[in-house]
Amino acid sequence: MKARTGYSTSLKQEFLKKWIKGIRIYSNFKKDMNILERKKAIKLSADLAIASTRNASTRWSRTLTANISKNETNKIFVEQIFSDSEVIKKEAPSRLMARSNRIASKKIWRRSHITQIKARKMGPYAVKARSIAKKLVKNRTKVLKSLVPGGENMDGISLIKETLDYIVSLRVQVDVMRRLASAAENSTRSL
Amino acid sequence: MDIAGKDATIEPEKGNENPVNYCATNMSSDWPLNDNYLPNTSVGMIPRGNSIMESSACSSAPMVDSFCPLIWDQPVSEQNRGYCHVNIQNNARTSDSFGPSAGTGWIPDTMLRDDMFLPTVQGMVPQSLPQLPSDSGFIERAARFSCFSGGNFGDMMNPFSVPEYLNSYSGMLASVQGQHEVFAGDGTKLNTTESSKEASLPLVYGTEGSPLKNEKMRECLPCSREEAQQGVCTLANDSDEAEFSSRGDQEELEGSPRESSGKGVESKKRKGTEQSTALNVNNRALKPSAKTAKDDAEIQNKDDLNPTTSKPSGKHGKKGLQWPDLPKEEYIRVRARRGQATNSHSLAERLRRERISERMKFLQDLVPGCSKITGKAVMLDEIINYVQSLQRQVEFLSMKLATVNPWLNFSIEGLLTKDIFQSRIGSSSSLGFPPDVTIPYPPPHQTPPGLIQPDLSSLANSSNALRRSINSPFTPAFRESTSQAPSMWEDELHNVVQMGISSSAHLSSQDLSGSLPPRHIKAEP
Repeated sequence: MKARTGYSTSLKQEFLKKWIKGIRIYSNFKKDMNILERKKAIKLSADLAIASTRNASTRWSRTLTANISKNETNKIFVEQIFSDSEVIKKEAPSRLMARSNRIASKKIWRRSHITQIKARKMGPYAVKARSIAKKLVKNRTKVLKSLVPGGENMDGISLIKETLDYIVSLRVQVDVMRRLASAAENSTRSL
Repeated sequence: MDIAGKDATIEPEKGNENPVNYCATNMSSDWPLNDNYLPNTSVGMIPRGNSIMESSACSSAPMVDSFCPLIWDQPVSEQNRGYCHVNIQNNARTSDSFGPSAGTGWIPDTMLRDDMFLPTVQGMVPQSLPQLPSDSGFIERAARFSCFSGGNFGDMMNPFSVPEYLNSYSGMLASVQGQHEVFAGDGTKLNTTESSKEASLPLVYGTEGSPLKNEKMRECLPCSREEAQQGVCTLANDSDEAEFSSRGDQEELEGSPRESSGKGVESKKRKGTEQSTALNVNNRALKPSAKTAKDDAEIQNKDDLNPTTSKPSGKHGKKGLQWPDLPKEEYIRVRARRGQATNSHSLAERLRRERISERMKFLQDLVPGCSKITGKAVMLDEIINYVQSLQRQVEFLSMKLATVNPWLNFSIEGLLTKDIFQSRIGSSSSLGFPPDVTIPYPPPHQTPPGLIQPDLSSLANSSNALRRSINSPFTPAFRESTSQAPSMWEDELHNVVQMGISSSAHLSSQDLSGSLPPRHIKAEP
């Protein structure tokens, strides 16, 4: 437990520093932002910071950084924050697509074949229940893929792994932001 | 192919709870936990004679140790359940759970389900298997087993005629490696030369009269690197052959029968069969079934095509998810269970399902309130909700921060204060910033003076606020620490201002962590 706490603490520290640095840079870029711009700046820096804590080792962090860098104005911002080349371009999806197409057709055959076999073996109701469950899982997997950045082309196992990592990072992000928000609120309130 | 129809589904991780038989709660769900062999199921030993060794314990080393010698005396029952493939992660657990149960020496019949495999005590092996080489040699071989070339499925010998040797084998393997491995390929190799093996194998155990059904298959499946810690073997034929060649004397015993097997197996397969025959030493009655023979041929063909793609081809059956291109060197051997399809596809799918369920368990710990949920669909639902809620929280908090601080000049100081509050109040895992940390910063850059004003004012305000709040009556322990704090605030304030001013202020983690004085306040749960 100690180790885990220590790790998350250092993670929070790292995130905080990067985040604040990003905010500062952003605010130096644009003075007098309105509230929406500020919010966007805050969120952007937070996302960049939390993605950079992973050092591009996970797919979601790479995707997140890449998505942010797509915007030209953000790109400059990003590059300034990360002078070290952490920004890694997203993988070319073409390779995965080709593979998936090839495999998909085989899967279709196999699926139908297996359904027949199972129907013979297990009886119709069990097969139906199972297929319903599978549909459920599949739909939810699709939703999860849309939630986790970069999850589109991943298979189930890696998706769950990425989700794990993403959840941890999100928690760190939320925790630090909440603390900062309450601290800032306390300070302004007591003024 | 899954044993969803069977009621004994075992969850590998639940060993300590003595899950003799887990009924899959969601049989319809695509989460065949029963696929994992359950090392921790308290596999009892089968009493006497024929019946039984149906329950196949996981071949975990710990299980082997605690196993009762009775097992060996009993002939292997015909109902070979097959092995639960070794679940790598369950090693520790199986050992724990196995100890008590193994002591009895009786396998409850309920345990005799598909995925149970009796672990065999190492010590027992030599007793009942005179032909067996010394345990060490066997273990060594078992240790190499993880590197089976994939795809030689087919006629898996009846695992339960085999269970004895399998048990010992698995046990030894586990003992050697301290890790579960999925056995694959052994069976396939065995199957190829089953007929010849039977004649030549000097199996000691009395095999059951009923013909063994080759329902189990061992297949080498590529495993992800992280999961195949020790037992990962390279799929490459070379590696297999190397391993095989390094086998002990047992291989030689089998060597000739293997070689004489009628099938035109590739060299690697031959070597694989050698390995498997080593296992088969204990296994007396390996009878290839027509089905397994056919499967074996099929698998051989597959292997012929492309050994490295045997795994991907096996994954075709996956529903809607793709198997990643696993590194070719790493494979996990999977043993099919009784009543399951034994081709490579199903085994690969089973392995994949196990992996998914493993990871789901991690997620269960992470996502609050998911400890009781069993079932992929529900778990996924919870995960989705949680991720969505976290993302929404981030949005909300960023908006809040935007409103609270119009200048976007957040300071470390504010966070430190917050940290103090948290730590004093005893909340969990503080940020770790001590109140009296001195942050060395690079000299400030030249900035327009106008910019300094708002920073200073806000910082001054915040620091005053902080100081006031610090000096408020909190616990005395808090106060004694804060007595030092105010003197540091000025320094900090300057530092922070400098930090705020310089746009390129580089906050290095080393600075911060290095500057943490030993007396910092930190509440670590």
